[in-house]
Amino acid sequence: MRRVKTVSRVLVAVFIVLIVASCESNNKSQADHEKAHSEMTDNKTQEKAPHADEKVPVNHKISIEIIDAYLVIKNGLVADSKPQASQGAEIMLAAFTNMDLAHLPETTLQQYMEIHESAKEHAEHIKKSSIDHQREHFEILTTDMIDLVALLGTDKTLYQDFCPMANNNKGAFWLSEIEEIKNPYYGAKMLSCGTVKKQIN
Amino acid sequence: MKIFKIGGLFLTVVFVYIQFFSTERNESSLLLVTDIDVVYEVPSEVKRIFNTSCYDCHSNNTAYPWYNKIQPFAWLLESHIKKGKAELNFSEFGSYSIRRQRSKLRAIEGQIVDDKMPLRSYTLIHRKARLSKNDKKVVVEWVVKLRDSLK
Repeated sequence: MRRVKTVSRVLVAVFIVLIVASCESNNKSQADHEKAHSEMTDNKTQEKAPHADEKVPVNHKISIEIIDAYLVIKNGLVADSKPQASQGAEIMLAAFTNMDLAHLPETTLQQYMEIHESAKEHAEHIKKSSIDHQREHFEILTTDMIDLVALLGTDKTLYQDFCPMANNNKGAFWLSEIEEIKNPYYGAKMLSCGTVKKQIN
Repeated sequence: MKIFKIGGLFLTVVFVYIQFFSTERNESSLLLVTDIDVVYEVPSEVKRIFNTSCYDCHSNNTAYPWYNKIQPFAWLLESHIKKGKAELNFSEFGSYSIRRQRSKLRAIEGQIVDDKMPLRSYTLIHRKARLSKNDKKVVVEWVVKLRDSLK
């Protein structure tokens, strides 16, 4: 009889855990929602705050963090390292969250937000995906980054490289901080495939 | 032996109990102005493929199977639909920015070429949703064409 009691206790416990778990996931999405809300209001209050460091153009400050994160992803893929790429994606997501957009003029802001929205989505996928899927999203993320650099500018020296074989032989770009070709689409398999198409700065 | 009896009884009770939970149905008779079919000209062949293989999870209308009346399957379906729609909702395609539309079209191409979509767990039950070689070709060609036109 005692054994039966223990078993039924265990079963009840399991049941409770299941219920709690399902409730928790509901709460979590609600919390996320609230967080997004408060972030929105935060942005508003920051709008008039003066910028501390006037030397670096505001635009560049925004782009630099995102590009740095992009380069971490890129170097992760070059090294065939899924964890490093997903770490870079995490850095990028954090950069997006902490972004101070107060000084962007309205037209720029609108274009920036489109890039932001798209790039964030790719970063989320890169964070949690297999390396093949990371590379797919990296390719589209690269278009976002090229447009971001064109929109906001940067102080960094960047190389816009092209690999004709990537993306099912349709070719794909990537941005690099070094002149030497290190291909993120194939990693060690074809590290030197590609050419520099353009130098930025 | 008694353990199995009690365990079985317990599971039965749980099974009956969860039947009282209902899920929200993903159904709408509205054709939104943002529907991909409104915003772009979708060829009938592509439309047919989207309908049979994609729209159950990627639109505001799911053609529910009979087992949606049974828990926990209904929960499983609900979570798949929710995730699917968050990634890509053809009913709201027109509300995405052009940049995002292009990126979605690129992703559709990638998922289909790599056989990642439709999900295997889905085609296992929905045999009709499997894409033939020709289906894939038709969809991929169309999404590539549409993407190139969105510049």
